[in-house]
Amino acid sequence: MTLLRLAVRSHRTGLIMTALAGTVGGLLNSIGFAQIAGDNPAARALFAQQMELLARQLTYLLPAPAQLDTMAGYLVWRWFGSVALIYGFWALLAGTGAGRGDEERGLIELWLSAGASRTRLIAARVAGFAAVAAISIAVMLAGAAIGAAIGQEPLPIGPLALQGVAIWILTLVVFAFALLVAQLVTTRRSATGISGILVLVLFMLNAAARSGIDVGAIRWLSPFYLYERSTPLLRGGSLDTLATVMLALGALALVVLAVVAFVSRDVGGPLFRGAPGKATVKWRPARDPLLRMPVLAIVDQQRVWIVAWALGLALLAGFLTSITKTTVDALGNSDIPMLRAYFERAGINAYADFVGVIWFSTLVLLISLFVAVQVNGWAADDAEGRLEAILSAPVSRARVVVERITAVVVACAVLVAVSSLAVYLTATSTGISLPAGRFVFASAAVLPVAYAFSGLGHALVGWRPRIAVAILGALAVVGYFAQQFAPLFQWPDWVTNISLYALYGTPMSKDDWGGIATLIAIGLAGTAVAIVTMRRRDVGR
Amino acid sequence: MPSAISTQGLTKDYGAGRGIFDLDLTVAEGEVFGFLGPNGAGKTTTIKLLMGLSHPTRGSATILGLDADRDAVAVKRKVGYVPGELPQFGGWRGSEIVAYIAGLRGDLDDREVEAVAKRLDLDLGRKYREYSHGNKQKLALLLAFAHRPALLILDEPTSGLDPLHQQEFYGLVRDARARGATIFISSHVLSEVEHVCDRVGIVREGRLATVGQLDQLAGMRAHRVEIVFAGTPPIERIRAIPGFDQIAVEDHRVSGMFRGDFEPLLAALASSRVTKFESREPSLEEIFLGFYR
Repeated sequence: MTLLRLAVRSHRTGLIMTALAGTVGGLLNSIGFAQIAGDNPAARALFAQQMELLARQLTYLLPAPAQLDTMAGYLVWRWFGSVALIYGFWALLAGTGAGRGDEERGLIELWLSAGASRTRLIAARVAGFAAVAAISIAVMLAGAAIGAAIGQEPLPIGPLALQGVAIWILTLVVFAFALLVAQLVTTRRSATGISGILVLVLFMLNAAARSGIDVGAIRWLSPFYLYERSTPLLRGGSLDTLATVMLALGALALVVLAVVAFVSRDVGGPLFRGAPGKATVKWRPARDPLLRMPVLAIVDQQRVWIVAWALGLALLAGFLTSITKTTVDALGNSDIPMLRAYFERAGINAYADFVGVIWFSTLVLLISLFVAVQVNGWAADDAEGRLEAILSAPVSRARVVVERITAVVVACAVLVAVSSLAVYLTATSTGISLPAGRFVFASAAVLPVAYAFSGLGHALVGWRPRIAVAILGALAVVGYFAQQFAPLFQWPDWVTNISLYALYGTPMSKDDWGGIATLIAIGLAGTAVAIVTMRRRDVGR
Repeated sequence: MPSAISTQGLTKDYGAGRGIFDLDLTVAEGEVFGFLGPNGAGKTTTIKLLMGLSHPTRGSATILGLDADRDAVAVKRKVGYVPGELPQFGGWRGSEIVAYIAGLRGDLDDREVEAVAKRLDLDLGRKYREYSHGNKQKLALLLAFAHRPALLILDEPTSGLDPLHQQEFYGLVRDARARGATIFISSHVLSEVEHVCDRVGIVREGRLATVGQLDQLAGMRAHRVEIVFAGTPPIERIRAIPGFDQIAVEDHRVSGMFRGDFEPLLAALASSRVTKFESREPSLEEIFLGFYR
């Protein structure tokens, strides 16, 4: 029971964050539907038609739409599709934390030396996460149910519970997958990176399938595909027994494999080790000249991580650009007023505009999340003694701040360059002509966004390192959705303007030098605050 | 002789009695100074203040004529530092860590790195996470000694080192001293500072209890003695032995703290049949209890 309690406790932050986000999201989506969908069958039908067309361009992100004239149908599309991603992301972090994070902190050694068996350890971590995930999902569903009841269209409890079961099992599959991947590598960071890329590939597989790309029977490998087979909340829908059983068995098999791997490997070591090489003792420092250069040394240390991000972004960029023509052609034939309004407010008039709106709005979000990961690393530098080691050299604290932020911007420049190249090549191969000048400008304008987030992130690290990432992540996600939903629901401009991304604007359509200058000013202000807080604080506390 | 380290009322108050309070201490240039105290006494807090890693609540510290807090960057050009808690460098190789710190310092000579690495038998080609605790400590020592600093501030530097490499460490300290460096070593092991230190300060519960030459410390030296007799212990004779305090008797067993020459003690026991005689160096805490209670 002690192990189980510890396992539950280790997930408490995730529980609070996901339950909070889930409740707020469930309430907002259900109440939002009641407000905008209309209150008579004709208005509902028009709303559903408009939403369905819009949904067709979002199949890379959300499930295929169905019964959008009902609260249940809308939530299945808009909310339960997104929330699966939120829970998947949490499960990924929790799985790698359970598989490697505890080991890095020496906890596994402690528990094993206290007499706990390896099988029991994994069982406790899985059971603990399963319990915590169930609680979080139940709270999230309650939020949606309350919102639906407020909107005078209550959700049936039984099917809602079955929807929860589907999300829960999907979450456990991702957790078990990350747990297994964590057995193969030696650091949590590698485990998160590798399992993140693999989960993204599985997600994209399903996204491709629902976007009309024939991927064949391989789609059944994607847990997201299996999850979307279940539609218990829809009229005539149900929990797909076969898909659910496949998911459950998959989760079980992954956990068993993780246990076998954990039992077989050395604590602190990977599952597979290469043959020991010829032992050559090295007495001198590494010759890599980058390691001795300011800024580039930090970038060099993360080269594998940056390459992984660049590949992931390039894949996503290629995919989004490849569906541009089909989507714009389908939407362009629409004469629905709301959709036209969305297009006008989003500034979409041609393929190039679509690339601008869809790709660059996604890119700024992903770059912000990359920055958030870096900010997490800065907080860890302090907690894990690396900052103390750096500051024991004749280096000022201000220099540390400036170098870190510059290194992030340089890394972001690499990511933007690689992904923009992927967009450009895919666009050219599909016959889309991108205006070169604007495209380069739109790409370069992402860097001030990265700078603004880095400055703010470092200021937060100096102030409250433990919650810096959460605040920065929330700023990114809320800003992104404010940008995406404002034109859709015709929200007032101030809603859009609370997002930092509003300052990025739509550079594929028009210049906004004021916005760029403001982003740089935010970055400078953040850097200044970061330098002051860094100077004032005690290292390691 | 000019001072390498000088503190005036140096205080870091973490609340609840934790921290270091009103520390007035001077370490002369070229001196090897031992800073002793049990865990939680305030040794690491003091060292972090000297390194400018923490800011004092009040008071000040001067390092080689520079203010430890205000001139922290200039101070570190002259200081080699071993932290009390080793950093986590994960998958980096030792050689990469050294190259990175060399880039930050700008004054690390590769040949000197090689010499110290060979002396400590530290393979820089291995990944940091694969290093044992002792090897991580060796890397910290290498980074502190390799730029031949004027002052070495070492927080429990032999932690995790095997006896062979402890001897090598003492050699490094002696060599550094021979070229004129000042060395400030914190430790909770009395015998360790005896190997290398000229002078010792003892800190307890955040306050400097005493500072003295090492030979003065010998007067403080005590042994925990335990004697088991075949018959009834000669209690009266034992109590009369000068320097034998805190005596406890349990059946045939007598224990206590003994200071000074062993001759009177052995003479007092000569006429009794002793089945066990054990003498060990007491922990610092036992010394503190003996001297400062």
